Order: sequence, then structure tokens, then C-alpha cells
Amino acid sequence: MVAVMPGPIQRAAAAITAPVHALADLLLVRRGPYARAFDNLILGLIIFSVASIGLESIPGLPDWAAQALHIAEIVVVAVFTFEYLLRIVAAPNKLAFIFSYQGLIDLLAIAPFYLVGVDARWLRALRLLRLLRLLKLQTHILESVVEQRTRELAEKNAALEEAQAQLKAELEVARSLQLAILPSSFPARPGCEAAARMIPATTMGGDFYDYIELPDGQIGLVIADVSGHGVPAAFFMAVARTNLRELAAHHPDPGECLARTNDALCAQNPLDLFVTVFYCVLDPQTGRLRYANGGHNPPYVRRAAGGVETLSGAGGLVLGAMVGAKFPTHSVQLLAGDRLVLYTDGVTEAFNPAEQLYGAQRLVDEVHVHGGGTPAALVERICQSVTDFADTAPQSDDITLAVLTWGAP
Amino acid sequence: MNLQIEADGATTYLVPVGRIDFDAAPAFQQAVERVLSGAGQTPPTTVIIDGAKLEYVSSAGLRAVLLLARAAQRAHIAFALCALQAPVREVFNLSGFSQIMAIHSDRETARSQSQPPRT
Repeated sequence: MVAVMPGPIQRAAAAITAPVHALADLLLVRRGPYARAFDNLILGLIIFSVASIGLESIPGLPDWAAQALHIAEIVVVAVFTFEYLLRIVAAPNKLAFIFSYQGLIDLLAIAPFYLVGVDARWLRALRLLRLLRLLKLQTHILESVVEQRTRELAEKNAALEEAQAQLKAELEVARSLQLAILPSSFPARPGCEAAARMIPATTMGGDFYDYIELPDGQIGLVIADVSGHGVPAAFFMAVARTNLRELAAHHPDPGECLARTNDALCAQNPLDLFVTVFYCVLDPQTGRLRYANGGHNPPYVRRAAGGVETLSGAGGLVLGAMVGAKFPTHSVQLLAGDRLVLYTDGVTEAFNPAEQLYGAQRLVDEVHVHGGGTPAALVERICQSVTDFADTAPQSDDITLAVLTWGAP
Repeated sequence: MNLQIEADGATTYLVPVGRIDFDAAPAFQQAVERVLSGAGQTPPTTVIIDGAKLEYVSSAGLRAVLLLARAAQRAHIAFALCALQAPVREVFNLSGFSQIMAIHSDRETARSQSQPPRT
């Protein structure tokens, strides 16, 4: 682009037009106290001017009054002319403004005064056109009110959106914290291997799993599902996990541990939530698994020798519902190569678009057919099978799986 | 979920139709609470949830039932369930709720065996 140096004439013209543009901008374009005052001034003058037509036609008007009205008329027309010229300056397309409906009315409102030498009497009637200006100004004012309200609304919307975005970001953080407290690795024991995965539902859920290293070298394994969704469920999950972890160290018997955890949860449960918990303790030396069930879906054992069994020993109530609930402890002997499969109802109660349930049978079939590989492979296989089944149906509940395999050390 | 309400003397039968899941549980709970409070009239002495048309109960639904059982106990109203379909019955068994709630095979048994809790 070539920069053209302005000559002296352009500079002089700019010196004159710049302040005029600034004034037009202040009084007509920008919405502010000056523009509002100017609008009101014009409106007042129009009303006065229309009224003065009536006054002038009163017969026997004293000379001084007629003279005052005439002076007033000069002032009014001067202001209107000033406004008209200013509007031309402010208009992006000046010709379009001059020949617009509004521009013509503005011009006709002042023209009779300048043409008064030609014929004063009939042109006086034209002054009534100022009534049209009145209508025009009213529309103008209404428009500016609507514009202002729209702007205020837009500002409030923006504030709301910002608040929502912040809330969403905080929920995201809460959710990643929730995922972060899930253990990422299983305590190393010769012959033992485990894998687990939680796929959170669209809303924040309350599933969790946990591996606990117990003082006597045994390993506790937990899978749990808090009732409901959202932040309350997530908090209750954190409380349940912490309580269970601490109590497990002091109560080696799984049923006793659940009973203590239940009592602790009942004492700090203002929202009346509850959690289903399956808790088992594995002796890595012998493969003996002791377990207790607080209202949770019973896990499966896939026998290396063939067949899938359900750990259906009588369970107790969900935790958090009733103080003093009892949880019987059962035990089962794992043999080398057996796999223990823990899951939450997000797996079996996944719906497909036709509103059919995934169901326990599909899960058992997957475990039976594909359970021979590593725990990680089986976890992936089942997750894939459930998400394939659900297809486009929204995931309404957390999906959690944990698989453990035992082999003699 | 839709809730049918049938009053028979001092006993009120509630028949939830469809699913009580996370979305339906609050409405179900409110509707039953209205029944327990008598809704401006004398409250019933016995409330029985008839599960014949109930297809599914999620953990949020179980929580609603638990809260209602407690509310009934506070109001000295006998509270029982009956005629649960097999999948729903399974959920009550699994969660241990069948150990703390009266669950009967049909309305008649539920009615004859329900006594309002004493004060």
C-alpha cells in the first residue's frame, strides 16, 4: 500500500471535519448520556413547535407573543438544521440518508422556514410534517430502549455462560480427582496378577475399586457402587473408600470389616445414600479367598479346569442403610489359573438403543469364552463387548470391572 | 414411570408402572410421600407397593424405597411390598433390602400380615 501525504487543503478540511464527526458520534451514534439528552431536547422542541402552530392561529394574539413565537421558531429551526446536518455527517452513506424516508421528513420539517419568501401560508401546513418526525423519534427511542435491553441480556447471558463454564471445569477437576484415587497397579505378588477399569457415566458416578495391602501380607480387593449420581455420590464414594481402607487394616475378617464400615457410614450419611460393596481378602500363599457381600452383584470365578461359578454366599444389606447390619463371611479356594471377575451393575444393566439389558448371561459368556488370557485382556474384552452392545444408547451408570488371577507362588 | 393409586379402606395400594431409575425416583418418592401424609385427608394405616407392573428398579429407586419405608415408620404407617416381578425381586434380594422390608407374594397376604408399627 502506498501512503499518500495529505496536502494543505486536505489537512485544513480534516481540521474542520474531525470535531464535527466527533460531535456527531457523541450525539447520534454512541448510546450514552449525551445522546439521550440530545434525543430528549429534539423531542421537546418538536412538541413545542407543533404546539406553537396552534398558538399562532389564535386570533388577536398580542404582538409581543407573536414576536416571541417567531424568535422561538428561528431557534427551533436552527437546532433542527444543525441536527439534520449532523445526521448527514454521521450517515455512512450520505445520499442514501438524504433520500431516505427519515431524511426527507427531516428536510421537509425545516425547508418551509428557508422558503418562507415564496409562500408562507401554505408551507405552514407542511410544518405539521413535524408530527411525523415525532412518530419517527418515538420509534427511534423505542428502538434504543430495546437495543439497550438486548445488550443487558447479552451481558447477563455471557456472565451465566462464564459461571457455567467455571462450574463445568470444577466438575471436571472433581472427576479427574475421583479417577485419580483409583489404584493404578496391583500389589506385586508372585503368581498374582490383576487389572481393573472404571468407565465413568456422563454424570459423575460413584463406582470404585481398590486394592488394599494388609499387614499380614494378604491382599484386600474391593468393588463398590454408590447409589445415585453426581457430586453427592462422588463424595460418599470417597468417604466409603477411606473408611473401608482404614478399617480393613484392623479387621482381617471381611464380614467384620464391612459391619464396622457400615456403622461408620451410617454415622456420616446426611443424604441417606448407600453403597453396595463386595470385599474379599486373598491369601497369596494359599489361594484362599475370604469374602463378604454388602448388597453387591456377586462376582464370578472362572475355573481354569472349566466352568464359571457365582460367589453367591448369602450377603448382607447395602452399606449406609441401617446401623448394626451384619455381613456373613464366606470362603472359596482358588486353584492355579482361576480368575476372579468383579463388576458393578453398570455392566449388566447397560441398555442398548432397543432398551434391552446387557444382562448377566452375556457377561458370563464373555468370561467363559475369553477369560483364558491376561486379566487386562479380559477387562478390555468385556468393556468392548458392553460398549458395542450399548451402541448409541447413552451410558447412564459407571461401568467397572476388576479381574484377578491367582497362581501358586 | 407412572404411579397408580388405589385406596381400599385404610389401606392404600400403590402400583408403579414401568421403571424406577435415577430419573424417575424423585417423582416416585414425592408421589408416595403425598400418600403417606394423607394429602389433606386422614392418612392410610397401611401402604402396600404392588410391583406387578414394575419392570426395573435401579439403585436410586432402591434408595427412594428405603427413604419411604423410613418415612412410613416415622408416621406409624405399615409399609410392605408385594407381587414383585422376578428381576425386581432379585434386586431386592441382592441389595439385602428383602432382609429389612416386608415383601409378600400378593396383595391379600401383604394386607393380612401388615400391622402398623407401634408407637
